[in-house]
Amino acid sequence: MTTEESTTASTSTIDQATADLLVVGSAIPPEQFEAVLTNLAEAFPVENVMVTGQDHPAANLPAHLRIISAPQSNNAWMLRPADFVNAYEIGREHQVRAILMLGSGAESLKPQAIRDLADAALSRSIDLAIPHYTLPANAGLINSAILYPLTRALFAARTRLPLTIDLGVSIRMAERLATVGKRFAAANQVDALLWPVNEATVAGFAVDEVEVGTRDVPQPSDVDINTILALVTGSLFADIEAKAAFWQRPRRLSPARIHLAGPARADGTADVPRMVEAFRLANSNLQEIWSLVLPPNSLLALKRISVHDAKVFRMPENLWARIIFDFVTAYRLRTINRGHLLGALIPLYLAWVAGHLNVTASGTSSERHIEAVAAAFEADKPYLVARWRWPDRFNS
Amino acid sequence: MQSLMTTTSLTSRFALAAPAYIDDGSIWHHISDALHQSLYRVLTLLIAVLPGIVAFFVALAIFTLCGMLISWLLRRCLSWIKFDLRLARLSGEGWGPTSPPTEIVARASFWTCVLFGLIIGVSAFDASYATGAALPISLLPYVTHAVGAVFLLIAGILIARFLARSVLISAVNAQLQYARFLSLGVKWLVLVLTAAMVLDHLQVGGKIVELAFGILFGGIVLTLALAVGLGSRDLVSRSLESHVERTGERGPIPHTTSPSSEQIRHF
Repeated sequence: MTTEESTTASTSTIDQATADLLVVGSAIPPEQFEAVLTNLAEAFPVENVMVTGQDHPAANLPAHLRIISAPQSNNAWMLRPADFVNAYEIGREHQVRAILMLGSGAESLKPQAIRDLADAALSRSIDLAIPHYTLPANAGLINSAILYPLTRALFAARTRLPLTIDLGVSIRMAERLATVGKRFAAANQVDALLWPVNEATVAGFAVDEVEVGTRDVPQPSDVDINTILALVTGSLFADIEAKAAFWQRPRRLSPARIHLAGPARADGTADVPRMVEAFRLANSNLQEIWSLVLPPNSLLALKRISVHDAKVFRMPENLWARIIFDFVTAYRLRTINRGHLLGALIPLYLAWVAGHLNVTASGTSSERHIEAVAAAFEADKPYLVARWRWPDRFNS
Repeated sequence: MQSLMTTTSLTSRFALAAPAYIDDGSIWHHISDALHQSLYRVLTLLIAVLPGIVAFFVALAIFTLCGMLISWLLRRCLSWIKFDLRLARLSGEGWGPTSPPTEIVARASFWTCVLFGLIIGVSAFDASYATGAALPISLLPYVTHAVGAVFLLIAGILIARFLARSVLISAVNAQLQYARFLSLGVKWLVLVLTAAMVLDHLQVGGKIVELAFGILFGGIVLTLALAVGLGSRDLVSRSLESHVERTGERGPIPHTTSPSSEQIRHF
């Protein structure tokens, strides 16, 4: 009884203590937690660090690493709004200076990578430190095709992976994310995606990208492309709609960073014929729907590329940029049902993927092609602004 | 037989005895009388219904004007208290509809007033009809049914279009070659169902409509079943094979788990 009481008292003392850094590991599965703790102990040999997560025998932990219990997140592939809310509440309670949020699969992050991510928020006055993973070749294609170019063109942020599961945030950035998270929770959208880069840019906070090397990026439980694309792009389109007043003003792009390593080359052209075939089928069947969204020029360009052989198939960068901008506008105007709209985007996205695979197979670096796509989005931003402001002008 | 012959001869004898000319004045008198009575009935009907019609239009006009006034007032008041801004703060930045909330409230108030005007106008018309219920007016109940039928038709067309698009997009993304055919089939299924419901609501056709609907609906379903069944044999067999072999999904659109696309990860 006495032992229990003393344990409770000691835990309460620890809970009320302060620390420099709070590591939120509530999204890490229990089986990975031990490895993450080992990496954290190595990454922070002397600093006072608090870690939220499962209960852990204190004997195996160094004294400066303390664990506090927190609600466990059950979403394995992406941080939920509730995770941001909890992170801020705990961080504020313990008066931490920065918060490091780690997601599922964080045991594959090297201690130095964890340290760099935390240092950006702790020592370099960065409000949002976004990791740049070295992904395998032909991975993260939705990010390369849509998320990165759109974020870069509209929010002038060069973060290569705008939607990541690990983040280093200052306490004021955590507060902002918690406010957004609470709004989603109030609207009962518990699985909604948050866009930290967009939030930080709108708030005028400092954003930086940290090279963290390789990492096992968790995948959604449903690997169906129809579901993933609709979920991720729909969420980004909604965020763009909500922040229209911000991104319509011209902004200067942050300076380019030189990434140390690009992904290794891999041949994924085996799937190209099937993707091109899917695009051709859509081109002959979805004209009625596409014509509600895309202007005649884009439809004509799509018709032209649909007759190309699969081996030389390519989606021109400027055409892809216009297609995405037209879909963003149609999403805002509700030209057609939003589910239908995002469904009609899938064959076009597959056409882009087919073109990208062909380009990389021909010897061009994957990153170079993605940068060219992002540059096309930037160059065509005035088109989106014009369509957004005067949509009727483009209907004829 | 004999009695029949006797009757015939008597009739012919009477016919010979009758005057050879027809009284023209009497016929014209009857025709004129019938016409006068008909005109009187129609005029009486119109006189009985006319106040109702006038009341209908007056009620509609008054309530439309009221709606315009209320809508204008609401628009001004809500703009003055910055309703849009306050609502955006309360509900977050993700206001769903395209129009601003003030505009929606103003429009809703206007159309509510118009609807009230319609209801009051129709009841006034109904009241005037009731006073002359002895007159053979069967138009009003039919008009009510017609309005209902129009709503049914509009709803049916909207649902048909929505379902046709859903099926088309899903079928194209599943890379089914007969996607358009499937979509058309679904569209016509819903349209036929709507047409049958509309005719039934209008009480037109009776049993014939039910019979024709059954035949048409069954025909379309059978055609679709045959087309899909025959057309997707390969798809079904592939699906069954992959299920049995547990080798993951082999859908037509490459997924991350597809054996041939191990290198591609969309997310």
